[in-house]
Amino acid sequence: MLEGLVSPENLSLSYADMSVPERLKWLQQHQQQEVLSLSSNDSPDLLQILQFHGSNNDELLQSTFSHFQMVGSGFGTNYNMGFGHSHEAMDGCISRTSSCQIHPPDTMGVMLKNSEENRAISLKNKRKSEVKTREEEKTEKKIKVEAETESNISNKEASSDTSKETSKGASQIQKLDYIHVRARRGEATDRHSLAERARREKISKKMKYLQDLVPGCNTVTGKAGVLDEIINYVQSLQRQVEFLSMKLAVINPELELGVEDLSVKQFQAAYFTNFPVVIASKPSVMVDVPLFPLDQQGSLNLSVSNPNQTSIDAPSESWETQSQSLFASVLR
Amino acid sequence: MQPTSSMKEEFLQKWQMGLQIYRPLIDNTSVSERMKAIKLSADVAMASLRRGTTCWSRALIQKTATEDNFLVRQMLSGIKAETLINKKLPKVMCHRKIVRRSKKILRRRKSRSAIEEVAAKARKLVNKKTQGLRNVVPGGEFMSNDVLLIQETLDYIVSLQTQVNVMRSIVDAAEAGSER
Repeated sequence: MLEGLVSPENLSLSYADMSVPERLKWLQQHQQQEVLSLSSNDSPDLLQILQFHGSNNDELLQSTFSHFQMVGSGFGTNYNMGFGHSHEAMDGCISRTSSCQIHPPDTMGVMLKNSEENRAISLKNKRKSEVKTREEEKTEKKIKVEAETESNISNKEASSDTSKETSKGASQIQKLDYIHVRARRGEATDRHSLAERARREKISKKMKYLQDLVPGCNTVTGKAGVLDEIINYVQSLQRQVEFLSMKLAVINPELELGVEDLSVKQFQAAYFTNFPVVIASKPSVMVDVPLFPLDQQGSLNLSVSNPNQTSIDAPSESWETQSQSLFASVLR
Repeated sequence: MQPTSSMKEEFLQKWQMGLQIYRPLIDNTSVSERMKAIKLSADVAMASLRRGTTCWSRALIQKTATEDNFLVRQMLSGIKAETLINKKLPKVMCHRKIVRRSKKILRRRKSRSAIEEVAAKARKLVNKKTQGLRNVVPGGEFMSNDVLLIQETLDYIVSLQTQVNVMRSIVDAAEAGSER
């Protein structure tokens, strides 16, 4: 999926060769090119230009929007969107930008550092390209080189500090992974709202996972309903655990599970697939509980000496022989 | 992500180990004691599957450590046990009442358009639900971050499913055996 991208490692090398001011110049030039090409395209809607430093800038000319993309170490496999794929998507979506202005567009890159240990930290890179070239106002914040390294963690503290700085040419080059967020039409584009939006999208993605996991969540829409279902599900699972442990305690006074690993595997494979842990089954089961101590204890005492010796019906003979020998050894 | 068979096996192994620790200690005639033994060892087994990487597992271990310190120490090998048990409870347990009160003070009258009111109510509802989720998931009180909370919930649900599956199959096996 990432074939469209220039591999970050190569870029980092080439970046590392240039010195910082050279890099700035290079980026400025590229921005100029982009802006000019865009203005020549006569699309007044275009405002947001993402400086995606790590990418192939030819592709960037086509896809002029920051979009949601995670480059770098796998944090959830569903996140990756290659540049190569997104061309058509981008062109189709060109009309979605923030409000149209004739003034020089704001280029904004929202970089969110991503690593498995750390949660997303939003680092904003705000740059006014035309302003720089025409009015020569320099308000650029940090410049990030994105590359995939393992030094993310060590750089965490450094980056969280320097993210607030407004350093000009002498900004440090941090090696970070970025998540690019699309700025949509009619939405604010300052750093806080972008960070919030990124966070919200993350949360909604996670909630989708949860919806797949929890049975019966697909019908409900809206966060509150889904959360409700999740809470009910977790509570029912916990209750089931309690109930099953009580049942086991009653059935099995020796506290002997009586199975070895090998046989369990066969046993489970043969008989029990994943039980769909359904909430509906719970009420029917709960009814048995009060009966248990009364019913089973008397009768069980008789059979308690022999429950594990008797062969549990199993399709495979190996299970039988194994189990018998095991139980025999256990009980005698 | 569904519970895998390797997870189930590992859980079963650890659970058995825990029960073996218990066997000489408990009074065999009391159902409640046995149930407690089973449940606690199952919980610690489930939590130890994650080896301390997730917040809920650490919180669960600490919770069972308050009930039965000895079991937890025995079940978790060596170093891990010490660090997990002695570790202080993370972050701050924010006192929700105080936070709520201060928020009320800070809140000034905002423009109450109809749309905003609805949105505000929806947000309040969601916040209530997330608070409910925090109460259910072990260690949820310490997760101030929503993203973290949902991640932990996901992991916790999968582990719970493993636990329930294994326990259920054991119970069914035992039942089938006792019927003979």
